[in-house]
Amino acid sequence: MAFELISGSQAAAIAVQRVGVDLVSAYPITPQTAIVETLANFDARGELGGDFVSVESEYAALACAYGAAAAGARAFTATASHGLAYMHEMIHWCSGARVPIVMVNVNRTIGAPWCLDPDQGDSLSQRDTGWMQIYCSGAQEVLDTVMQAFLLSEELLLPCMVVFDGFYISHTYEAVDVPDQKTVRDFIGPPPFEAQVKPGAPANLHGLTTGDNQIELIRGRHEAMKLAPQSFKAINSRFQETFGRSYGAIDPVIPDGAKTVILAAGATAETVRWALPKMQDTGLLQLRMFRPFPREELCSALEEHGVEKVIVIDRNCSTGMGGIFAQELRSALYGMDNQPDVQDIILAGGIDLTIEMLERIVREEKAEGHVEQKWGVDLR
Amino acid sequence: MKTDIMNHESEMLYAGHNACPGCGAALAVRYLTRALGPDLALVLTASCWSIITGMPPLTALKCPILHCPFPSAGSVGSGVRRGLNAKGQYDTTVVVLAGDGGTFDIGLQALSGAAQRNEDYMFVCYDNEAYMNTGMQTSSATPFGARTATAPYPLFKEGQKKDIMQIMAAHSIPYAATATVAFPEDMERKLKKAREIRGFRFIHILSPCPPGWGTESSDTIHLSRQAVATGFFPLYEIINGVSWKMTCQPEGKRLPLKEYLSGQRRFKQMEDVRIEALQEEVDHDWEVLLKRIEASK
Amino acid sequence: MLPEIVKEQVSYACGTEPCTVNKTGEWRFLTPGKAERPSPCNQGCLLDGEIPAWLEAVKLERWEEAWQIMSRRNPFPALTGYVCFHPCTENCNRGQLDRDIEIPAVEKAIGQWRLDHYKPKVKALTAKGRVAIVGSGPAGMSCAYYLNEAGYEVTVFEREKVIGGMFTLGIPEYRLPRRVLKKELDLLESEGIKFRTGCNIGSDIRLSELYAEFDEVFLASGAWKPRRAGISGEDSSGAWNALDFLKAVNSSSSPAIADPVVVIGGGNAAVDSARSALRLNGVNHVTLIYRRSRAEMPAGQVEVEAAEHEGVELICNALPREIEEDGQAVKSILLDHCKTSLEGLAIDRSRAFSKTCGTVIMALGQERDYTLFDTLEKSSVLFAGGDLISGPATVPEAINAGRNAAMAIMAKIEGLPGPGLPAAEQSPVKFEELNLGAKMNLQLQDVQADPSAEASRCLGCGTCNTCGICYLFCPDMAVDVVDGRYEFNLDYCKGCGICFKECPSRALAMEGGR
Repeated sequence: MAFELISGSQAAAIAVQRVGVDLVSAYPITPQTAIVETLANFDARGELGGDFVSVESEYAALACAYGAAAAGARAFTATASHGLAYMHEMIHWCSGARVPIVMVNVNRTIGAPWCLDPDQGDSLSQRDTGWMQIYCSGAQEVLDTVMQAFLLSEELLLPCMVVFDGFYISHTYEAVDVPDQKTVRDFIGPPPFEAQVKPGAPANLHGLTTGDNQIELIRGRHEAMKLAPQSFKAINSRFQETFGRSYGAIDPVIPDGAKTVILAAGATAETVRWALPKMQDTGLLQLRMFRPFPREELCSALEEHGVEKVIVIDRNCSTGMGGIFAQELRSALYGMDNQPDVQDIILAGGIDLTIEMLERIVREEKAEGHVEQKWGVDLR
Repeated sequence: MKTDIMNHESEMLYAGHNACPGCGAALAVRYLTRALGPDLALVLTASCWSIITGMPPLTALKCPILHCPFPSAGSVGSGVRRGLNAKGQYDTTVVVLAGDGGTFDIGLQALSGAAQRNEDYMFVCYDNEAYMNTGMQTSSATPFGARTATAPYPLFKEGQKKDIMQIMAAHSIPYAATATVAFPEDMERKLKKAREIRGFRFIHILSPCPPGWGTESSDTIHLSRQAVATGFFPLYEIINGVSWKMTCQPEGKRLPLKEYLSGQRRFKQMEDVRIEALQEEVDHDWEVLLKRIEASK
Repeated sequence: MLPEIVKEQVSYACGTEPCTVNKTGEWRFLTPGKAERPSPCNQGCLLDGEIPAWLEAVKLERWEEAWQIMSRRNPFPALTGYVCFHPCTENCNRGQLDRDIEIPAVEKAIGQWRLDHYKPKVKALTAKGRVAIVGSGPAGMSCAYYLNEAGYEVTVFEREKVIGGMFTLGIPEYRLPRRVLKKELDLLESEGIKFRTGCNIGSDIRLSELYAEFDEVFLASGAWKPRRAGISGEDSSGAWNALDFLKAVNSSSSPAIADPVVVIGGGNAAVDSARSALRLNGVNHVTLIYRRSRAEMPAGQVEVEAAEHEGVELICNALPREIEEDGQAVKSILLDHCKTSLEGLAIDRSRAFSKTCGTVIMALGQERDYTLFDTLEKSSVLFAGGDLISGPATVPEAINAGRNAAMAIMAKIEGLPGPGLPAAEQSPVKFEELNLGAKMNLQLQDVQADPSAEASRCLGCGTCNTCGICYLFCPDMAVDVVDGRYEFNLDYCKGCGICFKECPSRALAMEGGR
């Protein structure tokens, strides 16, 4: 065990360095910069072990990673907010092309107006792009998840986005168990996937096709992504053996008899975890995997504990509908026996969630019964 | 002829591709792949060639073609080059193929970025002077005075064709050259020269487009030749952004530009005063080019 | 490791099959094809010798094929390469670009190849017929060659002791090396053609006897009867007629003649005589005297220039009046000034002059000798040709006559239709019509190291010369390379017409429909 005091950004960068990638292409954007800078420092010391390229835009960063992954290389990039939005076309393209790429997105509000606070709307607006998305609640989780994301992505041939909150995670320091490179490399192994661009082999890769063909390809991606929770489970049981930690697609902390659980993804889950001792009969359901959506895991956890109420912390808002995690949950629970009630707490704009706010949320919920939606600013 | 260019065993283009009859771009890529193949990886952005390659499971070239989104070509090329290097495939020639839209317009940022980083691949622009794939809409490579689907009569393309070669020269890349389909030996020589150079290389190929330009399909070579003979599209190369050299100069005096324009429907209703303006522009550019060439001697 | 199910599911749009399954030829509404037109060289050729075609074969270094094309019209390129005046080169379009194609050099090379690579054929046991040929000159040899090739038994009757006629006895060694001629004649004999020398038809054997003995007879005894000037001294010793002189020179025995020599005449026999005389021992000065202007001389200009270059003095506009004798020998010749006028030759006796000489050679032309026909029965169908019919003409014309006769004889014996009328003449491809826009793509360097390189300079002019431009400029890979030549692949040709437009030789046409 070698604990180091590092930030979430450093944790992400160290994970990339430990795994050993062929290419890092990146473009700086707040609050992602520390990841790129840490990787650049590895490169400067000759410790990166791969190619580091500072490109001219986020779009280029992902395009470059796409090219490298198509050539059979292990590629990584990181971005945030506007950068992710700017990549949008390439994000679709990469999953359609079935190239395994790992990308970190550090949540930050998308303008206008300019805002640096950690709204999750950037990554959630890439929900339908065919990427897997995993949300992390702390630096250790970031380090571990980035490593695991390579395995998951390369196994399913789908790109994977590892997401965490700007500043709350990216810029705060935690004691993290940093494994040595050999252990990690032995665990991860070389990229197992085949190159698409094989010199000498004629191939018209991702050329124009018909809708009839396209639907089959989309179904293929969908079926593959549905395997992610099972795959993730297997990866984590191996991970447990080597590193003594493991994660699930969801991580429920539900005390016996708790009829109310708080569903949270990212840094808010950690806040809830800390608040749990102060709130009676309340549990935590940390949502880690957002795509694919772990519907079965969620339903069985809720059923198992006879949960009656789920309070969803949404650091985002789909304008005209509300918090996105809540929507997804409602949709997942639809048709379930003894379907729990869902309340949506919207922290859009990335506002802070305090333990006092959480206590108030739980208190009010017990008093008021069914209220569909509440805005965080009203709960201070 | 016993020249290399006639060697049919080096052909990389299959018959049965989807190009229109008389397509200059099909010829350009035929020459390109033949000169650079067989160890070649092509990155192809949205353009006529996205269609010409055919639909999977078919393919039109004997090399890998990696399609990519419209603005991304320059960056995907960087990635493929670096990815192949990571796999130890240093000898494979990586070529990014883009039309004029994917080069002059939407692809310019990625192109500029890759050129500035001196990425080790060849960017080839086949320029048919408009968005031909989508039906002949104006691009910044469309010449002044031409009519397009987005500049129908009495409108016309205003402003000069963007001088992409000067832009590339300003990046001080190791090699940049112009070429056109009527001069395949010249093109092949440049491509082979470029292949041996490390760093970023840029080839600008004028590719006549019969439906887009409104010409007979049989006129492709003739027009390409006339573009050179009038000085509208001089054939030259630039080493390191500073050393300019003419590679294939028309014999004697340049033909009047009108002879080149008159065969094309896109210039059919071009008023004399505009033809003169374009002629003056061509004359001016020609003089500037000669001065640059003189200065680099 | 990839889960099996993912392996099965991982599919992305990837094409590896060649798009050649798309038969894009279906798009076509105009179809290219070869449409050959005469070339200026062929237009000039006295044999209609398919010159661009054999040049093309030589360019591809396909010598056997070149010989096959050549021998369809000319079985003796080794000889004609030397003796023909090659009017083919006069209008060569290539000359307007840099210099004419050296057609004779390539022609000689094909002939030499034939001589070097000849292998005797196994002959059929039974001949298709037996033919007698009278005269072993160019016409007789040509007729004999084609008949023999076709499986006939051929016997050639020659009144001289040696075979070859004008080749052997009329054309001087310096114009036709005897080693080449000998090889060609030996080859004819080894092919199985029988020669009977020293046999004079009319005196030794009657013509009617030939008809009785053979299925057909071809008469090609030439025009060996010298035309006389009708001036005094013409029969004196020291006065020769050109044919006798050339015959004497060409039959190993060098005639002793007195210096200086005067040759009268302006035709090829005159020039040949003058140049031959200059080569004899003891001859220091030769004067060639012609009655009209130099420009009017019927002899090949190249030959006249060569004679002058060698030192032959040329006097034009002078007509002999009298050969003056000194006892038995020629002393001088008296000449009048004359020139061509509207009424004919205008003779000015006031400007007479005398030229001292020891020998006079009269080369005033030859006449046909019809004495042979005296013995002929009128009902006999007769095949005859060469100088005997045309009067003194050229070697290629005689070869052509011999070939035509052979074709006609075969047609008659085998009951086939005879050679038809020549096809209506198309205009030859002019220089301006050639698409020299594509010339930058052609190999235009001036290389003549070998015949193949020289042949590759040919622009084709109406004939496909395998320049490859159609192949080079086809955007659709619809021009296949088949056995080194180019063929349209109509499965893929979209009919764009670039090949037609760019063909430098103008040897293609586009036709409506697929």
